Amino acid sequence: MRGPGRHGPSTFVFLLPWLFTFGIFALWPLLDSLWVSFTHYNPIQGPPRFTGLENYARLLKDPVFWTSLKITLIFVVGTIPLTTVGALLVALGLNRHLPMKALFRAGWFMPTIVSMVVVSLVFKNFYSPFGFLNAILKLVGLPGHAWLQDPNTALGAVMVMDVWAALGYYAVIFLAGLQAIPAELYEAAALDGGSGWRKHWHITLPLLNSTTLFILVINTIRSFQVFIEIFVMTRGGPLNSTLTTVYYLYDRAFNSFELGYASALAWALFAVTLGASLLYVRVLRHREAA
Amino acid sequence: MSSRMVGAKDRGHWLIVGLLSLGLVTMLLPLWWMIGTSLKAVGAGLGGVADLFPWPLSLKNYRDILASGPFGRYFLNSAIVAVVVVAGNVLFSAMVGYAFARRRFPGKGPLWIGLLATLMVPKQVTMIPVYVLAAKFRLVDTYVALIAPFLVDAFNVFLMRSYIEQLPDDLEEAARVDGASEWRIFFRVVFPLTRPALAVVGINTFLVNWNNFLYPLILTSSDTMRTLPVGLALYAQGENSVSWGHLMAGSCLSTLPILAVFVIFQRHIIEGITAGAGK
Repeated sequence: MRGPGRHGPSTFVFLLPWLFTFGIFALWPLLDSLWVSFTHYNPIQGPPRFTGLENYARLLKDPVFWTSLKITLIFVVGTIPLTTVGALLVALGLNRHLPMKALFRAGWFMPTIVSMVVVSLVFKNFYSPFGFLNAILKLVGLPGHAWLQDPNTALGAVMVMDVWAALGYYAVIFLAGLQAIPAELYEAAALDGGSGWRKHWHITLPLLNSTTLFILVINTIRSFQVFIEIFVMTRGGPLNSTLTTVYYLYDRAFNSFELGYASALAWALFAVTLGASLLYVRVLRHREAA
Repeated sequence: MSSRMVGAKDRGHWLIVGLLSLGLVTMLLPLWWMIGTSLKAVGAGLGGVADLFPWPLSLKNYRDILASGPFGRYFLNSAIVAVVVVAGNVLFSAMVGYAFARRRFPGKGPLWIGLLATLMVPKQVTMIPVYVLAAKFRLVDTYVALIAPFLVDAFNVFLMRSYIEQLPDDLEEAARVDGASEWRIFFRVVFPLTRPALAVVGINTFLVNWNNFLYPLILTSSDTMRTLPVGLALYAQGENSVSWGHLMAGSCLSTLPILAVFVIFQRHIIEGITAGAGK
């Protein structure tokens, strides 16, 4: 009955809009980017020229690339545990009988709908030498600090902001996961004398396993791509202390027009991200099986 | 004994409520500061705690940015792009989702895997070829460049296919028996039934697109084609001459449409976010 092209437009017409955008903005760029990563390509000088593995060899010897990868990893490893554990605790709290429950939930979620550019602008002021944070510190008698101008604190300041901005989003996902757990399981545990923390350890966490995996994977993919915060707040500085890999490759591509090298950087980061995602899947699947 | 235990439990509960409230204040303080600073005409942004309580209230910053400078243009650009992208996603994700849910066609399996794979590919990999392509066809600084890459989002197609798959297909079959054309079946029978899912698609597409940054940044070069996030970010680059009052007024205005959508459609937004987690 349901054969293609029985009458009227065929299935092809239904697919056409997506085939168009998929081809032009996903499939072709993916292949082209891989090809360009094996070339020397400065659009001002001319078309791409095949150079084999040269870009990848350069990347392995480029100290700035390794610095950027280290900074990206510090960002990922530093923020994700905080965001994940924090979001779970907030979700457990919001899942209780609270006064003005809806208001609580909306309030916690609010920062995540504001654009990252706006959030970064606000925090740029907060962290500035004469900004809000230092004013508060002065009020309680603590010395101020030029948070984004000091290479020792700039990355940490951006990471704190990222946790603030992401917490509500993942809390909402955890909350949905919590609400899917049948209440009878907790009632049974209460009869057996299970206390608050033990009940969460033995019931909540195992049942949230797939939610946790989902959150870790999407947050990892997102965090490896950290860019807007850096663009708005620090531009990679001071002294490259916040130079994440995506910011570095953006800088190579659009300020130095080294499109070949920037593409190689993009693929290297993509490989690292995929590796990290697969690692989670292995670890958490293993836990599920055990 | 037992009443003492209940007392301890109560204290624990109120401790959690207290911590949650404290956290809530931390969550909302930066946003409050943004509003306060925008409503303060003199010394805005560097007044410390006083920026939280602007007095006298003034709309001068808002009048300034709307009366002169490119801010109005940023807003218009963002609005045009958002409206077209939302409309495109609502129509096209339903069409494509319908094809994947209900039709058989050659190459269906590989194409579906291709669609899922695009969810995994980071933007930094595709952005350079897309930029080169746009430059080649002289599309940098056009609405086409700002709109076309986002017209059919793969995740939206994924949502629509799941939704249409679980709809009963007897209405479609009945229409087919009556000799309705495939277009008619789609527009008169399937499309109306998918409204709940389309609401999720439309609203979340709006939220994501309104805040979109990387592609609009690289695909525009003149002030007249910047969108709000890009325009605001570049304005703030002028390190020392930044007027925080103006910047925060712009930030507030750019957040307003998002806030309105959030207040009206909160339930749909949550649905959209959690849609991926169950799978």
